[in-house]
Amino acid sequence: MAVTNLPEFIRADGPDKVTGSGRYTADMTLTGQLVAKFKYGEVSHGRITKLDVEAARAIPGVFAVLTAADVPDVRYSYGLADRTLFATDIIRFEGEIVAAVAAIDADVAQQALDAIVLEVDVLEPITDLHAAIADGSPLVHEAIDTYEVTGDTPHSGNIATHSSISMGDAEAAMATADTVVTSRYLADASHATPIEPRAVIAQWEGDKVTVWTSTQVPFDARAGVCETLELPTSKVRIIAPHLGGGFGGKCGAHFEPHIAALARAAKRPVKLVFSRWEEFIAPDRRREAMIIDVTTGVDADGKIVARTGEILLDNGAYMADSSFFAQAAAMHVAGPYVIPAVHIDAKLVYTNHQPSGSVRAPTAPQGCWAIESHTDEIAKAIGMDALEFRRKNIVTSGSTGCVGQTYDEIGLDQCLDMAAASAGWGQDLPDGEALGISVGWWPSFAAPAGAYAKLHGDGTVQVITGASECGTGSVMTLRMLAADEIGIDETAVELIYQDTGAAPAGPGSSGSQTLFNHGRAVEKASRMVADQVKELAAAQLEANVSDIVLDNGTASVAGSPAISIPIVELAGASETGEILGSAAADAIEWPEITGSTCLGEQGFSSWLAPQFSCHVARVRVDADTGVTRVLEVHAVHDSGTILNPVAAHGQVEGGVMMGVGQALTEGTRYDDQGNQLNAGLLEYKLQTIADAPKITTQFVEIFTDNAGPRGAKGLAEAPNVATCGAVNNAITNATGVRIRQLPMTAERVWEAINDSEAAS
Amino acid sequence: MSTSNPQAVTLNVNGVPYPVAIDTSRTLSTVLRNELGLTGTKEGCDDCECGACMVLLDGRPINSCSYLAVQTQGREVTTVEGLASQDDLAPLQRNILAAGGVQCGFCTPGMLMSATALLDENPTPTEEEIRIGLSGNLCRCTGYARILDSVIQTSVEINS
Repeated sequence: MAVTNLPEFIRADGPDKVTGSGRYTADMTLTGQLVAKFKYGEVSHGRITKLDVEAARAIPGVFAVLTAADVPDVRYSYGLADRTLFATDIIRFEGEIVAAVAAIDADVAQQALDAIVLEVDVLEPITDLHAAIADGSPLVHEAIDTYEVTGDTPHSGNIATHSSISMGDAEAAMATADTVVTSRYLADASHATPIEPRAVIAQWEGDKVTVWTSTQVPFDARAGVCETLELPTSKVRIIAPHLGGGFGGKCGAHFEPHIAALARAAKRPVKLVFSRWEEFIAPDRRREAMIIDVTTGVDADGKIVARTGEILLDNGAYMADSSFFAQAAAMHVAGPYVIPAVHIDAKLVYTNHQPSGSVRAPTAPQGCWAIESHTDEIAKAIGMDALEFRRKNIVTSGSTGCVGQTYDEIGLDQCLDMAAASAGWGQDLPDGEALGISVGWWPSFAAPAGAYAKLHGDGTVQVITGASECGTGSVMTLRMLAADEIGIDETAVELIYQDTGAAPAGPGSSGSQTLFNHGRAVEKASRMVADQVKELAAAQLEANVSDIVLDNGTASVAGSPAISIPIVELAGASETGEILGSAAADAIEWPEITGSTCLGEQGFSSWLAPQFSCHVARVRVDADTGVTRVLEVHAVHDSGTILNPVAAHGQVEGGVMMGVGQALTEGTRYDDQGNQLNAGLLEYKLQTIADAPKITTQFVEIFTDNAGPRGAKGLAEAPNVATCGAVNNAITNATGVRIRQLPMTAERVWEAINDSEAAS
Repeated sequence: MSTSNPQAVTLNVNGVPYPVAIDTSRTLSTVLRNELGLTGTKEGCDDCECGACMVLLDGRPINSCSYLAVQTQGREVTTVEGLASQDDLAPLQRNILAAGGVQCGFCTPGMLMSATALLDENPTPTEEEIRIGLSGNLCRCTGYARILDSVIQTSVEINS
């Protein structure tokens, strides 16, 4: 829609999104399109004894019914190839796909599902993490030893990955401690819960398939289609229309292969749109449940001397992308502290629950919640203020952290002080109210990414990037980078993105990488354009190339601004009428570490451009009901240089809000068979605007070398790390009781208060 | 094939009459999206919980996923497509963009409809009244602060 009264510089997709003209995947319709539906296993663990789809295939209006017999026999997943597109003989979780149908409309598709004969011998579900790793436990994957392994993924029985963080002799150091504190914390599973349920449409033209899909990672989705359907890259094009949120839940390839296979069999375009129930139970991306046991020793001065820990993570039925989760969790339980001796052991455990996979800062909110709650327990045990204890023990510029990584200039100490000051740490508050503090950290990730840039004869620039717009506003920032390099206005830059048929490959919107990686590629491609513009300008203005300055749509000679020429004239005067640049982001070296990972090195021990944060939460707890309201969150982040303040604040506010939800209401509940009890938005409670705290955001801006463009680090995940811990510490400060299970629901808070009163 | 019971009705949406034959069991959101091509109205839960499908019925906000299309005959439906004039965004649309209250945008249409209804009924809402008025619309991206700011800003503009 063409509108004339836009704010000065806004996200390019903004007008589409506020007028309703923007198309998300579910909004599209292709001629002749059929409706897809999936037949799920319906039990969390069972052996298929009969699967007959002939009656379903015979229904008029049914164009295709597929099972494992109809697609290549390919096993996939990162780290350990444990999954097939359709269940073969064993159903391992309730959302396991047994068959897929494509029919003329939704009613006929449902009739086809109902006509599928599925008989299952129900097996005892494996749901308890300790029982699952005990000797003699039945196995989720009996043939695990035959699965293909990639990377350092030590596994055995129901242990999908075993990983550790280790430095020094933790046992010996612990023996020297003056005070030793041991804690156990439990975290329930939770969900990404984007407001857009996912949708996929596939259409074949000859031997090529185009898939429109609500993915965060078009190139990963393409790789998944190619791998599972055994297609060459050149035959698969992935396009993501506007994406209605992802939060990690829409990473990886999910249902693109199923729908592409259905469309091929049906010889018609096929469209899948998930119900909210399916969005809860079927994706192999949900936030993992954890059991965290941790012990810390401190000396007489309150300095940490040793930390040991054991973590069990619920992997669910399949690996998805979770092979690094054990090591990531171990890093969070170690925390951003100077710890001379540490040993943390983490096991990712198969169960018959929905598979775990990347959700915004995977393992971090739970791991950080546990360790920051534990940190307050230590401070209390030695009679030290929680802020003071952290000041004494956190990593600062030049200090060496838990894996022996020595940090360059970092701002965690500033985050701590600024958050405390913003919240009024130490002030008197009304009864039932209190502050709680938590620090957090998260790495940045370097990955290959490319970009093209074109300066047209009319002076506008088109940037073609593999980046994705999950909502973060990163694509808006990419326009700013291109504009700045070429010296034109941001509004003259157009982005082409979310199309594997047009752009060079890249990580898309995952791992806070959009700006970090795609930004570096866009910056470099744009600089190539700028260099050519400068050469043309130098020839026209009879000056040295090195003296040409590009700014405000004009090329001029440094020191002599009057000697100038509009960039648009130079663009039009080039040989082809446009000026082209193409570039790949430079490789970045990961920092060295001196600590060791005994086993299960999954690339999560050395942290590139680490991000730090401190959140202080102010809560009010109603002791009679256990209801906790988060009134304020004061968030201070070191994410390096901030290039786009509106987008950056939006990321922090959204991440904090997600953290409040995880802290108070968001947790998956199961029946005794491992099926989800609250797979709906009434029962799985997201925070509303009525619940929203006042969020105060500040940034410690430190230009960071060996990082993203202009010294920026990642940002989208980091705000989701520290909030839960701050809320728990505030609840304890308000009530005197410690909540040991996440989410800290009203029932759990009430029970803890009641138990404490009964005991006293 | 599906059993159907089509009924001829005229739906009035954004001031435009649409004569359609629809099954009486069809919800307003599916008819808006599939028959009328007005896909600005989103479906996030089909259960009245997320508010992405919010439209106005005679000026009052309803979840169109749980309202039968035939029930709207003779009444006026307003969707997000009806908020802007030919050339200009409505103040609320402009302000939510300027404030940074749009991220993924999937909740935005429903949020705008609830806020429009709120401001039509009460042009000077308190912050608490705005929070209550928009509490039927879930947003997973923004943390709500900038959405709240944009409604406050619009209220100020309306009354100045």
